[in-house]
Amino acid sequence: MEMIPHVAKARRRANPYLDLGSYDPEADLMVLNLGPQHPSTHGVFRLKLYLDGEIIVKVVPFVGYLHRGVEKLCEKLTMVQLIPIFDKNDYVSPMMNEQSLVMAFEALLGIEVPRRARYVRTLLAELQRIASHLLWLGAFAMDLGGALGGGSTLFMYCFRERELILDVFEDLTGCRFHYNTHMIGGNRHDVPAGWATKVHAAINAIETRLPEYETFLITNDIYIERTRGVGVVDGQLSMDLGITGPVLRAGGVDHDLRRDAPYHCYDEIEVRVATATAGDCEARAAVRMAEIRESIRLVRELIDNIPEGPLGARKPIKTPLAEKAAKGHAYAAVESPRGELGIYVIGGGDNKGASPYRLKIRSPSLHVLGCLPYILPGHSVSDAVAVLGSVDPIMGEVDR
Amino acid sequence: MAVDESYRTYSHPVYDFMMKVPGLDVMTTTVDKLLSFGSEASLWIFPVATSCCGIEFMALAASRVDADRMGAIVRGSPRHSDVMIVAGTITVKMAPRVKKLWDQMPEPKWAIAVGSCAISGDFYRNIYSVVPGIDTFIPVDVYVPGCPPNPEAMMHGLIRLQEKIRASANGRDVNREARPEAVHHQRLPRLPILGDPARTSELDRQQVASAASLGWWDELNLEQALDSVAKDLADESESEPKV
Ligand code: SF4
Repeated sequence: MEMIPHVAKARRRANPYLDLGSYDPEADLMVLNLGPQHPSTHGVFRLKLYLDGEIIVKVVPFVGYLHRGVEKLCEKLTMVQLIPIFDKNDYVSPMMNEQSLVMAFEALLGIEVPRRARYVRTLLAELQRIASHLLWLGAFAMDLGGALGGGSTLFMYCFRERELILDVFEDLTGCRFHYNTHMIGGNRHDVPAGWATKVHAAINAIETRLPEYETFLITNDIYIERTRGVGVVDGQLSMDLGITGPVLRAGGVDHDLRRDAPYHCYDEIEVRVATATAGDCEARAAVRMAEIRESIRLVRELIDNIPEGPLGARKPIKTPLAEKAAKGHAYAAVESPRGELGIYVIGGGDNKGASPYRLKIRSPSLHVLGCLPYILPGHSVSDAVAVLGSVDPIMGEVDR
Repeated sequence: MAVDESYRTYSHPVYDFMMKVPGLDVMTTTVDKLLSFGSEASLWIFPVATSCCGIEFMALAASRVDADRMGAIVRGSPRHSDVMIVAGTITVKMAPRVKKLWDQMPEPKWAIAVGSCAISGDFYRNIYSVVPGIDTFIPVDVYVPGCPPNPEAMMHGLIRLQEKIRASANGRDVNREARPEAVHHQRLPRLPILGDPARTSELDRQQVASAASLGWWDELNLEQALDSVAKDLADESESEPKV
């Protein structure tokens, strides 16, 4: 494979002492714990770094500080009760969690979702993607510290724009970010009158401000110095570790479930998948920025053509036990802002079969964290913070 | 009349000087008011933002709600801060760290529990790994309910805390008795919640076991822990008035 310039630079950065065999661990290495309570670990995540001076030689990640036993809870509660609980897994994009869960249950129960509901789900997913990436951008800018106009400037800007989308969601569902708007077989909240105008206003505002952020990012020398060639995750490593989402696409692998395995209404619209080749922090940031633009384009396309028809395949269920007993098993996956979020469910558990027998969450953040021991050695401690920010893990989803 | 010194929870050079010189006692109330005005108007926040409520906490600090205009700045170190805001689920694995951070904060200090998880454990309450509320191991001054509470609600919680600080400066010692004594050994989290009908004894046993397995009850084995729990329970039922 031809050496990509950024990758070549990254290889040169690597410390010659990477082989731990040449180390006397007692004499040379210092152990530094980054986390679990640290402003830049995006939740409660601990990295044990073995340092030679400022250079990392070995990394051991520790998870489990937010283990809430969701998969165990799934065996006790009925399918209807589970939907609001799944909002809390990946709390930066709750819509995707609900959608993956109800899609798995619909596949299990064999329910066909009406086109209008699928359409609204597509719309909500794209809006959620914009909000999630905006939060990532703000947090990433905080991690890079002084690079982006004094630390918290971009954070403040991004939250200003994110609030616009949360307002739109609040109009629709009544909640700011734990929505509970999906039901098995449809959606609960219909689009209110005049909602399209508000969505247009919100995405127009965001689109006009995006160039401002890119001026911050692309033309800032400190930003380039801190991200270019740092933390290279190439496509092969991603595929070996099961990494999906922007991290995979930044490594040059063109894979997106929205286009490759369409769900909802994605088969009716054309999704232009953004990719990059370098695989470093800069490329990941560029892919996410491109995804914000692409989502804005998709929302524009979708919002004015919401089809007529029923919003649910059947009447809303009034009691949690009213769900039919389900046999068999099903898997459903959505492309969340972090990658492939999949739910595997086996039906027919407690409560006369209204609970799942077993439910497994395939969360993209957990897989992404697996790459840290491979890519961090050779970098300095401050680079570790930049890399952690750029892969965007959400600990609620990792520990579940 | 001598001022009862037992209410003092913090020391200050000026305050200490006042207490030493006879006749200056009467000025201490004024100094007290001044100090609590200072505390109230510059609450520096140390966030323990573990999960979803932490994202709403970020919205509290960000542009729209903007806690800065109350003098509440978010700091990354417990040693700089006056108020700890616990926003999110606290697990058995995380609880000792939270307690350690709380111990590092200088007096006077306050704690706010944000969200049902920090208050009571929310619907994860009966899960083996979740602490049923942070008031099982640190004293909480203000509770902000919600799942998650809006940033405006968190702002309201901050305002209530300011009211509380002001009230304690005026001689009313608000809720001081409710603070647990400082503990020598780590007894965190205090599991199980005693006398809670929603929790089975088997669940209590599992949680005590998982807490003990963390190794902060070095000298304490599981049987002893359960015995002390049973003794606590007996003490509490004795002290209650008969109806
Ligand atoms: S109270 Fe609700 S929003 Fe807050 S941390 Fe718990 S589950 Fe998340």
